[in-house]
Amino acid sequence: MRARFPHRWAISAIAACVFAAGPSQAAAPSIDATIEPAQIALGDSAKLTILTSGSGTISLQLPMVAGLEFRVVGQSRQIQSVNGITIESTSTVIRVTPETAGIFTIPGITPRSPPLVLRVNPGGSSPSPNNSTPDVLPFIPGPNAKGLRMTPDGSAFVHLEIPKHEMYVGETVPVEIQVGMRDGFVASLNGLPKLNSSDFTLNNLSRQPERAAKAIDGKPFTVYTWRSLLGAVKPGTFSLTFETPLTVRIRTRPRQDSLLDDLLGDPFLQNIFGTTVQKDITAASPEAAMTVVPLPAQGRPADFGGAVGSFKISTDISTAKTTAGDPLILRMHVTGAGNFDRVDSRMLSGDGQWKTYEPKSSFNSPDPTGHRGEKIFEQPLIAAQPGTHTIPALHFSYFDPSTRRYETAHSAPLTVAVSPAASSAGNEPPPAAAAAGAPADEAHTGLRPDHAVADARVDSLIPLYFQPRFLAIPTALGLLLCGAWAASRRMERNAQGERERVRLALIRNLLETMSLAAARGDAAEFINSATSALRQTLSARWQISPEQITIHDIDARLEGSEREDIYQIFALADEANYSGGDLQAADFERWTQIVRRQLASEVPS
Amino acid sequence: MIRAALCSALLATGAILVSSIGAAQVRAPLLAPQTPPHASPQVQPQRPLQPGYSAAALYNLANAYAKSGKPGFAVLNYERARLLEPNDPDINANLRHVRQSSGLPPQSRSRFDRLTGYASPSVLAWIGVLGLLAAGVGALAQRRYPRHRVKLIAGAVIGFFALGITIASGVALWPIMHEAVVVVHSAPVRVSPVPIGDALFELPEGTIVSAGVEHDGFVLVRTSAGRAGWVPDTNVAAIVPRTAAKP
Repeated sequence: MRARFPHRWAISAIAACVFAAGPSQAAAPSIDATIEPAQIALGDSAKLTILTSGSGTISLQLPMVAGLEFRVVGQSRQIQSVNGITIESTSTVIRVTPETAGIFTIPGITPRSPPLVLRVNPGGSSPSPNNSTPDVLPFIPGPNAKGLRMTPDGSAFVHLEIPKHEMYVGETVPVEIQVGMRDGFVASLNGLPKLNSSDFTLNNLSRQPERAAKAIDGKPFTVYTWRSLLGAVKPGTFSLTFETPLTVRIRTRPRQDSLLDDLLGDPFLQNIFGTTVQKDITAASPEAAMTVVPLPAQGRPADFGGAVGSFKISTDISTAKTTAGDPLILRMHVTGAGNFDRVDSRMLSGDGQWKTYEPKSSFNSPDPTGHRGEKIFEQPLIAAQPGTHTIPALHFSYFDPSTRRYETAHSAPLTVAVSPAASSAGNEPPPAAAAAGAPADEAHTGLRPDHAVADARVDSLIPLYFQPRFLAIPTALGLLLCGAWAASRRMERNAQGERERVRLALIRNLLETMSLAAARGDAAEFINSATSALRQTLSARWQISPEQITIHDIDARLEGSEREDIYQIFALADEANYSGGDLQAADFERWTQIVRRQLASEVPS
Repeated sequence: MIRAALCSALLATGAILVSSIGAAQVRAPLLAPQTPPHASPQVQPQRPLQPGYSAAALYNLANAYAKSGKPGFAVLNYERARLLEPNDPDINANLRHVRQSSGLPPQSRSRFDRLTGYASPSVLAWIGVLGLLAAGVGALAQRRYPRHRVKLIAGAVIGFFALGITIASGVALWPIMHEAVVVVHSAPVRVSPVPIGDALFELPEGTIVSAGVEHDGFVLVRTSAGRAGWVPDTNVAAIVPRTAAKP
């Protein structure tokens, strides 16, 4: 038994972080270990991932298995706090490199963990399909193994799966385009796979690719698979490739720096330490040689419309019993695989027995690429005469690439019993249209009759409200209304200003009256003038008429010394009205100052 | 002053309305014969046509096209007639009949039918103008005449409602301004405006498509199913011609 641990200092440091968990407030920690891939070839490495979650101290030891080398290459730690509970999870990535081929059992990381099994095949031999893990691609040595051509940095590949390399002009072949991106090395896929050839067409490329995780050369890849139909445009020998734009992370440290290079070999650590840069590249598939053969001119049926593939046809009819003049639907089903976009049929041609209409078609396909499916043609028919009629067999010609010749599929003839129409039975009532006196137009063509043409016409079919000439009317009306609104606002402002001027003049007059009354010693007139002046000021402030202001309003609406002063003047006025007031010279002076102070904001002294 | 402004607005609108109607009535006899676009010789009406458009003339023209086996031009002229007379049952019935006979799917223009089924776009246009006037006058006068405030507010609300109906009709009709009808038996739709390569798909005659930009004899169209491509501009005809009818 031998286990090697290079760079023990690094292992110790990382292991200390991994195994020294934080304070435990929640459930006991759990450990989950996985190894990918579970089957590798000798000379490759597998990735052992140990995921610890929860809180608490975990005692872990790296496994020791004879013939396997374990190397810690990366670690990430995540701390979450949910409802006050701290949960930590730590992921440690260990590279497992076998030294010999065989089946290795890696004991559980903890006594409760299940063991892991790693199958190592001898170098260069691929595992048998029966034993292979479904999501693991077998390793085939060589740079172009199994058609895979990696990008120079080994981060991606584009692979084209074509079932055949010889096809006919017009034939469509289902293809698979695989784009593999190494996990952690490819930052983004910047576009769909693109065909680099004008000699072929790519039809019905699936919108959503299938996604699978695979290991190639022991390295984890995510492989996207698109399905499409490849169509040949012209004959000749061509090569085609597919390419896809990608953004990859490129390592910037030289490989000679082995210590850090090995330590930072994992893309996760490389990103952490900033030793990679992103670069846009284009991954291309290896060139695939294709031979396109022209369709043979010899033996081409007259009704051949370009369908290439393998098809069968059948027919049915909506009803086997009908009435002369009533429509019925003849359906032709074309099933198989091929270029259904070129599958067409004129179906039945009109003759004396049947009046035919243009058929319509619909296509149903379980295959997203539309290579296999069923195309249904529906043709309305009207029997002209009563009796038992036979709808002749329909035929459909196509070129079969497997037999390399033109084929014509035939359907079975159908029999329809047509009874006489009601109008021709003799003793039946006439049609409703004729009974109502409808003109011959309606009776024969189904159209309602012409109208009498009046002289009134319009110049343009453009609706009136889209015509610039008409739009001038609402525009002018809108401007007029805006102008009226602006004018009314201006008039209101002017009227308000005039009212204000009158009010101020009135206040000045009242103040002068107060002064004269004080000089004469006329207390009644003085108090009346003072209250009138105050009413004018308060009415402008409260937006009510001066006459409506009472001593109760003064008491309720005013506050502080202002209320006291004005309240006293109004009380004095009430007293003067009922008992005749008598003021001294000093009182006149004091009340004059109080009133002027209240009016100071409007009438400066 | 406000009263004077409002009176002048009413008078101006009335004058424009009267002059417009009068002009339409006076202008009609002066117009020269109409040449229907894309009309084939066998369906030309017997008597000379006047320029301009009338619903009856377009309807009769569409009937002639339908009888001569040209559903594309029939649909085109029915659609044009329906723009002028959306309430005419004959137009709608014959349009439905031609579409059905040609194997075209039934139309689903619910917004158009609902909004313009009440009145023609011209009537709705004038209703909108009157609505604007009522709304403006009501909003302005309610401060001036507080005694009639309730009536004036009601008038303003009605005016705004009428204006809204007109605007909704315009919104509903706007897509038709950019629609065209396939007037050939089968119009190949290509991925680019060049006449080479296979067609993406074919548009049957009478199909209504949304027409976009034009380039080098091709027009970019989009079907109701969302498929888009370029068709030769001779294969389609706009429902609403951009230019007025000329002699």
